[in-house]
Amino acid sequence: MTVSDLAAVPSGRSSAPAVRQFGAALRFALRNQTRNRLAALLLVGFVPTWYGLMQAMAGHQQLSFKLFATGRTLTVDGGELTLISAGLNALSLIVGFAVFDAIRRTLAFDRRLVFAGFRQPTLIGAKTLSITVISAAVALYAALVLLGFWRPSPAGWFAILAGYAVIALTYGAFGLLLGVLVKGDLEGFFLIIMGGLMDTFLQNPLGNPLANKPVLQWFPSFGPMQFAVAGSFGHTALWGHLALGLAWAAGFAACGLIVFQIKTRTRRHEPHRGNVSGPVG
Amino acid sequence: MTAILVAEGLHKSYGRHRVLSGTDLSVDRGQLVAVVGENGAGKSTLLKALAGTLKTDAGTVRLSGTLGYCPQEAVLSDNLTVGQHLRYFAAAYRLADLGRGEELMQRLGLAKFRDTSAGALSGGTRQKLNLVLSLLHDPDVLLLDEPYQGFDWETYLRFWDLVGDLRARGKAIVLITHLVFEQDRFDVLADLVDGRLHLRGTTTVATNTPGADDDRL
Repeated sequence: MTVSDLAAVPSGRSSAPAVRQFGAALRFALRNQTRNRLAALLLVGFVPTWYGLMQAMAGHQQLSFKLFATGRTLTVDGGELTLISAGLNALSLIVGFAVFDAIRRTLAFDRRLVFAGFRQPTLIGAKTLSITVISAAVALYAALVLLGFWRPSPAGWFAILAGYAVIALTYGAFGLLLGVLVKGDLEGFFLIIMGGLMDTFLQNPLGNPLANKPVLQWFPSFGPMQFAVAGSFGHTALWGHLALGLAWAAGFAACGLIVFQIKTRTRRHEPHRGNVSGPVG
Repeated sequence: MTAILVAEGLHKSYGRHRVLSGTDLSVDRGQLVAVVGENGAGKSTLLKALAGTLKTDAGTVRLSGTLGYCPQEAVLSDNLTVGQHLRYFAAAYRLADLGRGEELMQRLGLAKFRDTSAGALSGGTRQKLNLVLSLLHDPDVLLLDEPYQGFDWETYLRFWDLVGDLRARGKAIVLITHLVFEQDRFDVLADLVDGRLHLRGTTTVATNTPGADDDRL
């Protein structure tokens, strides 16, 4: 039997598996990422509690917030600004945690699936799409809950929603990267909590001496925060900053997916030394 | 008889610890080979090397057919039900239907757990699902790493009925076991000592270095 014989799809098997594989992978990835009860509890309980707590703590003092794209400094209500940064913070924690947990728990299972013949690009595509869908849904939820505390203009609300969606994507991708790199629960949770707290709270000038300083540009939530504040207070759409946030998400996702690809690859059909040739499962 | 699985000169070390030191193995169609050895002898490492899930330092494995590998620890997704596991792997194996999976679930008493999440299954039932996933595509060669851990007696007997059917259909099986009383069930008992396989109690396996007490597989 030759290598090409071995690689052929045996009789009785489906000859057009790509769509079926993608459907199965997307369905089950969504199921895995939405079965995290703690994340669901945080979503329902933590988001509104966090908004209320942060608004009460911030009060209504006037704060200066610099828009780096235009050089303008806006004078804004501290309570409303803090609501935006509280939403960004809550999303970074919840989405980061949910994706990290789901990816880490299923890594060995995904490796077995690929070993059984599941196409890696299909699995990667399905995971990426499921993280995108979940990030968008959770961001929409957080933006809707925000309306119970503050009613920005419709355009302002959409700007906040876009900022929320991008930060959720960024930390979803960060969770993906940690999920394939970090072995223990605690290490991953610690990195997500510390990273999210440091990143999002530094953007808020309320009690932060670093606020409005250029160093903030090097943090993942800089772009989404600038876009959300510019849209809701300055009636300006800073698309470049939204794109900057997306670049962070794409960077984390690319790194995470490359590691995922390496960790789930098999040595099928490679008739090299020490390797097996032939379909396996 | 033509060998369906041939391993030659497998070497594997973890740091300075040598686990496989030129291990050879040849398995024919319809043959049932038991790999035995002390804890830490490298039995699971050998099976992983045969399966291709572990990169060896040297050596070759030639396989003439499809392969099924059942790892020692059940690799499942706790949030998915038994039925969803079967559908997921059917998509991986590119199977047109779940006929074989249904048959295996019936034989091993797994069908009643079809809608139960893997995370809610007992250890023995998880192991049944672990086994079914490796058999779903009816492979020509099966590598089973202590496949009946946690099985009740009835399931254990059903497992051996299943193995009997597989052998009758020409499937080759390599199985890791600790149960000495089972040795009559096997065509070949291969003892892994110092990184090499030593034949016990039968002469049905091709050897590279013939000898009364040192038949390496």
